[in-house]
Amino acid sequence: MNRDPTRFWNPYLAGVALGLVLLTALVVTGKGLGASGASFRLGVTAVQAVAPGHVAAAPGLKGVAASGSPLDDWLVFQMFGVLLGGFVAAYTSGRLSLEVLKGPNFSTAGRIAMALAGGLLMGIGAKFARGCASGQALTGGALMSAGAWAFMMTFFGGGYTLAYFVKRAWR
Amino acid sequence: MTPLPFWSLMGEHRELGLVVSVAIGFGFGFVLERAGFGRAQKLIGQFLLSEMTVLKVMFGAVATAMVGLVVLDGVGLVDLRAVADSASSPTWIWPLAIGGFVVGLGFVTSSYCPGTSVVAMASGKLDGAATVAGVVLGTVVGGELLAIPAVARFNDSGDLGHLYLYDLLGVPAAVVALAVALVAVAAFVGAEKIEAIFGGAARPESPARPRRAVFATLAGLGAAGVALLALPHGTPAAYAPPPRLDPEVLARRLVDAPWKVRILDLRALEACGVARVPGAECTPAATLKDLDLGYASSARDLVLVGGGELADLPAEARAYRGRVFVLAGGFDAWKEWALERPDPPEPPPPGAPAAEIASYRFRNAVNAALTGVNVAPPPLPAAGGALPVKKRKAGGGGCSG
Repeated sequence: MNRDPTRFWNPYLAGVALGLVLLTALVVTGKGLGASGASFRLGVTAVQAVAPGHVAAAPGLKGVAASGSPLDDWLVFQMFGVLLGGFVAAYTSGRLSLEVLKGPNFSTAGRIAMALAGGLLMGIGAKFARGCASGQALTGGALMSAGAWAFMMTFFGGGYTLAYFVKRAWR
Repeated sequence: MTPLPFWSLMGEHRELGLVVSVAIGFGFGFVLERAGFGRAQKLIGQFLLSEMTVLKVMFGAVATAMVGLVVLDGVGLVDLRAVADSASSPTWIWPLAIGGFVVGLGFVTSSYCPGTSVVAMASGKLDGAATVAGVVLGTVVGGELLAIPAVARFNDSGDLGHLYLYDLLGVPAAVVALAVALVAVAAFVGAEKIEAIFGGAARPESPARPRRAVFATLAGLGAAGVALLALPHGTPAAYAPPPRLDPEVLARRLVDAPWKVRILDLRALEACGVARVPGAECTPAATLKDLDLGYASSARDLVLVGGGELADLPAEARAYRGRVFVLAGGFDAWKEWALERPDPPEPPPPGAPAAEIASYRFRNAVNAALTGVNVAPPPLPAAGGALPVKKRKAGGGGCSG
């Protein structure tokens, strides 16, 4: 295979492929695709390691720790698969490289800070929304959940609200 | 054809299910990377209007999975509603809408979403790794915030149960899927135009042939889903018998979470007026249609109470979108369990299993509360046999609940 880091799949065909992965997940396992759930479970595990008593006392955390380890869940296994799949795809396409993606005129520290802050916002939002772009928008959207479609609308709304202000980070 | 038993992979074949989850995750990560979603520039382009790849891939995936599900449902291989109840979260409209807005703000700030940040990290992008760390931290912060009563109230507000667009619009799911497929195609055509205006030289090429093939497939499968509606299915004989609740189970639910059940007493008004399950509404079968159960919020589980055993669900109750149960043995069974018991009741023998003693105590308590008659306390549990404490089921949290 020719490795060309600038070549991507045709977005329409990629969409169909992603749809087929999602369809397989739904039909075979009765579960969709998710990302923030595994992150939460990872976070709760970390909190457990630092302050074991705290998780059992926190109403928002103890749910995932009630029956054994928070990591013993299909979401975490799926996330492991995502890591593997992403790694293999990046390696075979020549896009595997240690770097910071940013605009040419933007500082590395600034970019990392924005990435961290954005992740923090997404984590908080996803906790209340019961999912993120994969769990709500993709999975719930395909299942025609009314709440997921509301999520999708406000998700893009939130994105375009702030888009003007992040422009210069990519110039 | 019987629907695929997807639940077995989450139940008795759990280990196999977890292996399948890794495989599905692999496909998910692989496709995301090949679509370019491991690169922040590709993702942020959607919001800077320079390229619409996010819209194309996401909307394409949603439409593909949706028409696929509807077609599989149409030929009887999949029970769409059962899959949806299993894989999607109920609609808490306020936290979902506002949470979505916050996730959108975070998306443009980091240029990743929680899933794509993992792919970026896997391909060595340090900004992706920073986003992953932020998401882990953020979900825990969100979880900690739930300790504040006002935040917890917000988190549970606007509970509409499992609400689907086809219920909201009152049309078959296949019609919604066809409409979504057509809207997706229209959005793709619009996206090409936007790219032509704002994309400039960086605009990704978009060969016409795969584009047309995908458009035609989506629209064609959507139409096929609607055509499959003509197949005969869903005849009354095909309905499974409704799940039954024993009087004790119903009483437990009434004590633990009365706001989660709605009890309808179908007996004649006179009988229901004299005695009924606490909290039950007196709705003789003829008046059921006035309740508009098909449009009522499905957040509560419906429990139907007949005089005796209720063999079949009334059509009005079948229209209910949430879960429907019948009280096993009807009101007669409730009366026998809760209101009339032998006097004095026979306590379980010493050394009986703890569960039996707990059940006896519970029945005594319900009995005393409803009739005012107190009975002798049960024997102490056998040495070392503490009463079982009911464990709360782990709930919610993260993608697809």
